[in-house]
Amino acid sequence: MNLILLFFAVITTAYAQGPTLVLLENQVIKETHSIFFRSLQERGYTLTFKIADDSALVLSRYGEYLYKNLIIFAPSVEEFGGSLDLKALTDFIDDGGNMLIAGGNGKGALTELASECGYEIDEEGTFVIDHLNYDVTDEGQHTKLVIPSSNLIDSPVIVGIKRETAPLLYQGTGILAVPENPLILPLLTADSTAYSYNPNQAIDEYPHVVGKSTVLIAALQARNNARVVFSGSLSFFSDEFFTSPVQKAQDGELVAVSGNQDVAIAISQWVFKEHGQLRVRSVKHHRVGESKPPQAYTIMEEVVYTTNIDILEDGQWKPFNANDIQLEFVRIDPFVRITLQRKPTGEYEAKFKIPDVYGVYQFKVDYDRVGYTRLFSSTQVSVRPLQHTQYERFITSAYPYYTGAFSMMLGVFLFSFVFLHLKEDEGKKTKHD
Amino acid sequence: MNKYIKIVLAFLSFGALCATTEASIGGYISASDKKKFLSTLVKSFTIELDDISKSYYAAKGYKILNEVVPKAYITEQCAHIKQHYKATANVEVLFNALNTWSLLGCDGKLHTDDTIASINSLLQNEKSTTADIRYATEILTQLKLQIPNPAKVAQLIQAKLKEDDSLASIGQALHAASLLGNAGKFAHDRIEDVIVQADEIDGKLLQWEGGLTVTSLLITGLLRLPGATPFTQVQADKFANYLLTRKTVQTPKGILSLLEAAVALAGSSVSPVSISIIGSSQVPQDKPELRIQVSDVFGQPLKPVPSPVIAQSATRISDDVVVLAKQPLISGKTSTEFVLTLDKLDPGYYRVAINAGSHSATITARILGLLTINSLEIGLTDADGSSAPKLSKLSYPTKLDSALKADSSQHLLVKFSISRPVHQAFLRLSSGKKEIVFLAVPDSNKGYKVEVNVASQLAYTGNFDMELILGDSIITNPIRWTLGVIDVNLGPSDSPAPRSLRGPKPEIKHLFRPAEKRPPEPVSLFFSGLTAAPLLVLLILWAKLGINFGNFTGVAIPFHLGFGSILGLFTLFWLKLDMFKTCALLIPLGMITFLAGHRLLSSIAARQKKTEKADK
Repeated sequence: MNLILLFFAVITTAYAQGPTLVLLENQVIKETHSIFFRSLQERGYTLTFKIADDSALVLSRYGEYLYKNLIIFAPSVEEFGGSLDLKALTDFIDDGGNMLIAGGNGKGALTELASECGYEIDEEGTFVIDHLNYDVTDEGQHTKLVIPSSNLIDSPVIVGIKRETAPLLYQGTGILAVPENPLILPLLTADSTAYSYNPNQAIDEYPHVVGKSTVLIAALQARNNARVVFSGSLSFFSDEFFTSPVQKAQDGELVAVSGNQDVAIAISQWVFKEHGQLRVRSVKHHRVGESKPPQAYTIMEEVVYTTNIDILEDGQWKPFNANDIQLEFVRIDPFVRITLQRKPTGEYEAKFKIPDVYGVYQFKVDYDRVGYTRLFSSTQVSVRPLQHTQYERFITSAYPYYTGAFSMMLGVFLFSFVFLHLKEDEGKKTKHD
Repeated sequence: MNKYIKIVLAFLSFGALCATTEASIGGYISASDKKKFLSTLVKSFTIELDDISKSYYAAKGYKILNEVVPKAYITEQCAHIKQHYKATANVEVLFNALNTWSLLGCDGKLHTDDTIASINSLLQNEKSTTADIRYATEILTQLKLQIPNPAKVAQLIQAKLKEDDSLASIGQALHAASLLGNAGKFAHDRIEDVIVQADEIDGKLLQWEGGLTVTSLLITGLLRLPGATPFTQVQADKFANYLLTRKTVQTPKGILSLLEAAVALAGSSVSPVSISIIGSSQVPQDKPELRIQVSDVFGQPLKPVPSPVIAQSATRISDDVVVLAKQPLISGKTSTEFVLTLDKLDPGYYRVAINAGSHSATITARILGLLTINSLEIGLTDADGSSAPKLSKLSYPTKLDSALKADSSQHLLVKFSISRPVHQAFLRLSSGKKEIVFLAVPDSNKGYKVEVNVASQLAYTGNFDMELILGDSIITNPIRWTLGVIDVNLGPSDSPAPRSLRGPKPEIKHLFRPAEKRPPEPVSLFFSGLTAAPLLVLLILWAKLGINFGNFTGVAIPFHLGFGSILGLFTLFWLKLDMFKTCALLIPLGMITFLAGHRLLSSIAARQKKTEKADK
């Protein structure tokens, strides 16, 4: 019997706070967004500030990436400088680099990049407008929006606990995200009364995004777990929005400080993989009552599968706690899907009976939840049919056959005596004659 | 887009620089900014180990903002500086400490002869940087001491500038040169060179690379040079604009840099004039007073006060009609405040050109009005227009008493008329999380119409709430009006429920193949009995016939044993042995039985022969 045991787990490196390239529209942005950058530096990121059309920009040298993360705060950049073209940026994502992009005006390099990532930015000159939910400090076009924290995506890993977050300020373009795309997450959406249009033009055609489908901040977690966050507003990350009070012009409840700082920092922690990174540490499987995996399982055996799953927290791998991790036992299609039970020791365990169909199977854990990296572990085992000695014996319905055979054998045995040793009666003999 | 926000929105009033007269800037350092600055500045009064440098930022900042430092801080800081002052410290620290000392008015003398000696030596030391020289000359000037040999110091500075001509270094040199009297004249040659290096951003801002600190250092340095007029008015305005964008600076040091530069600009001959709106640029129609501030960058009245302050013109942006010309502004509550009354103007956007003396600015103002709904009709019409539509009238904010029942052959029609055209006129239909928005199109004067083809445009079965949303940037009362419910019935829908791609999937339990059906046990046992029956019958018949083993002899025993064990072996084969073991046992047993059987048969044959002979 061949032993086929494959172990494969997507484990991304624990080291997240890597070198980060910050592309700015101009040097002033570095100062107007200083709180955000300082928070990154305090968390251990090495920031390299460059102007977006700097002709000496390079992302990789000799095939090695110089940066793990990229921040683009250059809304109106037409074309990036140096070797940074669209292909270089998409390759960067394909190779697992993370990106945070803010701002965009429907033209130029960022728009192309956004559409590569699966969302669209509204046209040049458009803003998300909401005549019912704008801040008192709005300059008159009702584009400085007050967004309640309930419009954040329901995922504490990405945006923090939203109940505790103050309302957010937003000023910028709307993003159109295809809801069918499973890799895109709308992190922040506008209210029903919002729409995206050029505030200086009368509405004569249907706005590209309207109401709740207006995405303000969108995220992409690619299949390789690279993360890209796209915010239509650069001011969302600015010192001004971080520190200013929020008061809706219409009903006027004053909140001392906006929730922007909390959310922006939470988003930056997520996008640069400080949060929500999972890995499979170990996988074990064996028959019930044993401790080592057999060469092959036989159909209908009871099997135990245990795995350890870790989450990266503050740079340390710690046991992950969830109650919705599922194990699949797959031979082309899943034959068994069962929820793993968390044991007090921190490992996850499942017990089940192997199906009565033999073949090559895989134990698969495919954990794909909003905000977490996709966890995928697959272990291959073979399952063989019963040996001839393993079938049932002495079936009641076969008793007639048994008795038939044995009575025949006994009969022959007795007959041999009778046939060989019968002494015919003298009387009878005479009668016969 | 950020550019758009920063420039167009934050500096709306700055939008157009007037060509005929001198320009102005929009915005100034307001009272609320000052309050924010103070709350940050005060942080650097906290005592930290032996640091005696940083409290300077707060002391100087308070001084510039004309605020009194609380007593408690003064005594605490004076004691702290006294305790940790060392003549051997870095010259910048000395400068900061000595300045704080005098700014806070601490008692006594802080500096010692050692201080002065070390400073003098710095001025002669070839290794001093321009910053060292600058702080040294500053300290000497502050202590009202002579700078020894200014010409030589000037030479040293020039030599240093050859080594390091970074902007920061030049800035420090400018400061030092300004204190050297005649010997500092050399710095004038540098002015042009420095200004050329300033970066212009979007044509609106000017700054030097290195941010606020460097920009401030250079502005203050250039303006400090005696007899120099480094900037033109336009440049000064652009620098002032840059400084105003940096009002969000978070560090005490940055705030001080900003304040020092603003003070220097305000005190110069090219002090930027700020013409800006106080409070909001939006005024309600019933009290259309636009408050305008004419001041320097610090919000202080200009000297001389520019006059007259007039609104040169006001233009409605939508159609470029001039609605007002040469209207003088009335003085407001303070000497910097002027009020423009925009009477009898319709709500809308207006571009107002303000002249204050020789300075001008264009600001955009909005007059806000109320929106009223004149009438609204709602109902269903037939798609083919065969019958007259039945529309019911609604008045704000009532809603329909009963739900509209719509099917695929109908259109939903909403017509309304409002007091003025609006930007946003949407009809929103929502059902649960689903929402569909329809645009109302203007059909006649101030009339709007929405027509929804139920079959093609709505395309969902369900109960929808209908809501009219009216909004515009120049109305004060955006309207969100629930009109009622529409019950759409398009027959059974075939759209599958959206599949969630994430989250736990349903569990799967494997369905094992059921065991084959077997006859019940009594039947099996009955038939077992039947198959055993022939043997029993045989035995009974034999018994009746009367069998005997009269011919049995000892010779037969081995054969029967052998034959019996072969049968036994078969039984064992059935129970547990495999083919190989069975064969291995069968071969010797078979041989024995064969031989024994042969012997038995021959003995029987011999006996029969004997009997036959006897019979004969």
